[in-house]
Amino acid sequence: MPSLRPIFAKTLSNLGALDENLVVIVGDISHGLLGDFRNSFPNRYFNIGICEPAMVGVAAGMSKTGLIPVIHTIAPFLIERAYEQIKLDFGYQKLSGNFISVGSAFDYSKLGCSHHSYADVSLISHLPNSQVFLPGSPLEFEILFQKAFKQDKINYFRLTENSHDIEIERKSIKIGAGIKLREGSALTIISTGAALRNCILAATELEDLGHSVEVLYLPTLKPFDSEIVFESLRKTRKFISVEELSSHDGLYNLVLKGSLGLDGIKSKQLAISDFISGYGTYAEIQTRAGLARHQITRAGIDLIGK
Amino acid sequence: MNSELRLRILHMVCASGEGHIPSAFSIVDIINYLYEHQIDIESLRSGSIDRDYFVLSKGHGAVALYVVLEKYGLLTTFELESYGKSDSILGGHPDTTKIKYVEASTGSLGHGLPIATGIAMGLKIKGINRKVFCLVGDGECQEGTVWEAANIASNQGLENLVVFIDWNGSAQQLMPIENLSEKWKAFGWKVFTCDGHSNLALRQTLLEVSKVSGPAVILANTIKGKGSKLIEGHGIWHHKIPNAQELRQITLELQGA
Repeated sequence: MPSLRPIFAKTLSNLGALDENLVVIVGDISHGLLGDFRNSFPNRYFNIGICEPAMVGVAAGMSKTGLIPVIHTIAPFLIERAYEQIKLDFGYQKLSGNFISVGSAFDYSKLGCSHHSYADVSLISHLPNSQVFLPGSPLEFEILFQKAFKQDKINYFRLTENSHDIEIERKSIKIGAGIKLREGSALTIISTGAALRNCILAATELEDLGHSVEVLYLPTLKPFDSEIVFESLRKTRKFISVEELSSHDGLYNLVLKGSLGLDGIKSKQLAISDFISGYGTYAEIQTRAGLARHQITRAGIDLIGK
Repeated sequence: MNSELRLRILHMVCASGEGHIPSAFSIVDIINYLYEHQIDIESLRSGSIDRDYFVLSKGHGAVALYVVLEKYGLLTTFELESYGKSDSILGGHPDTTKIKYVEASTGSLGHGLPIATGIAMGLKIKGINRKVFCLVGDGECQEGTVWEAANIASNQGLENLVVFIDWNGSAQQLMPIENLSEKWKAFGWKVFTCDGHSNLALRQTLLEVSKVSGPAVILANTIKGKGSKLIEGHGIWHHKIPNAQELRQITLELQGA
């Protein structure tokens, strides 16, 4: 399952040559991968060190001078630690910039909770001028970033080290567009980012058991494609949302809002509801969070039986 | 010392019932000096990125900035008289989205210096030869981001960044910061001290600053509430609105000055 970081570096190198306002600021991470950008545009690359709040403030200052900052480090430090700077320096001041995190919810599965981030997507979503992307494959990142980076927005891209490895058609990848990957009638499984992989596996299992399952994939969470959700739930009336996000504010809430006006919706939320303490492989942490293939399949069987 | 500007501050704050008078009195001479002698006002009017920049990091001193902007024709009297009202562009902390000539929406301390540092870096990337001034409170120097930015600015060798510390002793009655001068030196800055209420001292110090390379910080000795013995110093007057009798007393003090 490839990481999205190489395509991030390649995309920046390509765009850096096309746009002399693109500036990259990293918090002591990915400097090897970004070597090509650094060597090509040394005056537009800054490894600012380990000081995330000031890094965000500095990026806001650069944005004021007409530059397009790309600010990059590990998700909890970039978003949760520096949130007041993002909120005030970018949100309140109506400045634009691109926040690209690594580590997703728990990609640093052997490093423990200090490197986990569950609330980042929710936090950025609160800012009026923001767009939130959870690309689950390199092509999604490449297309969505190219379209978004120059828009006058606060863009948040949560990169994953565990690409879902599902082929997504190029033409279906658009800002704010959900993607229907499988057509079904008894249940809709809805996911975002890397979580898609287990959803597809679970959908196959459920189909083998004779259930007709629809699979929706939403690499953009803000703006959210409520229409595709509404159309699917009008048919199935049952959904499972699967997300590497806090259970308090994420995909499930968005889907519920998208289903407003439909009666009798039955649902299950598979999300992160507590600190996932301890260490292990990505798959092990995923299981501890309740997001593994067999856990999705079990939730599907329960829901279809209701 | 600018008595007229202080009177303007005083009457604005009393009329609206909002404002930090002693903090504004502490910094108004520095801000006035910058707009009178250092900042190219025409470059501000142009709206171009190629302009001088002043970032008020200690946003609660906003009224001092407003009266200076009015003095140099960058805010109107009508706008100042609306201060604190619900449809006004002017409030207790400055809002860059409402006021063209305010560079940063400050208020939460520790935000202005990182932003000023980023502006200074951005200007260098773009090859624009302009100065960025930033005014930081001495109490504000307890914020970690001030020192994060201090590190970055010296590391980047930002000779286009000049920081004033409003050294009025606020920090001393909270959590005393010893050797503030040595601390900035240790962070790689060129450090100067001067009387923050004297045009002559400000002129001489800024002349010295212009001769050095790298980011410079001026520890400006100031008096919180300067101009009125009634409100000078620290304590209840920080965010207090004078009553009618106190207003008269402060006015007389300023008129006598």
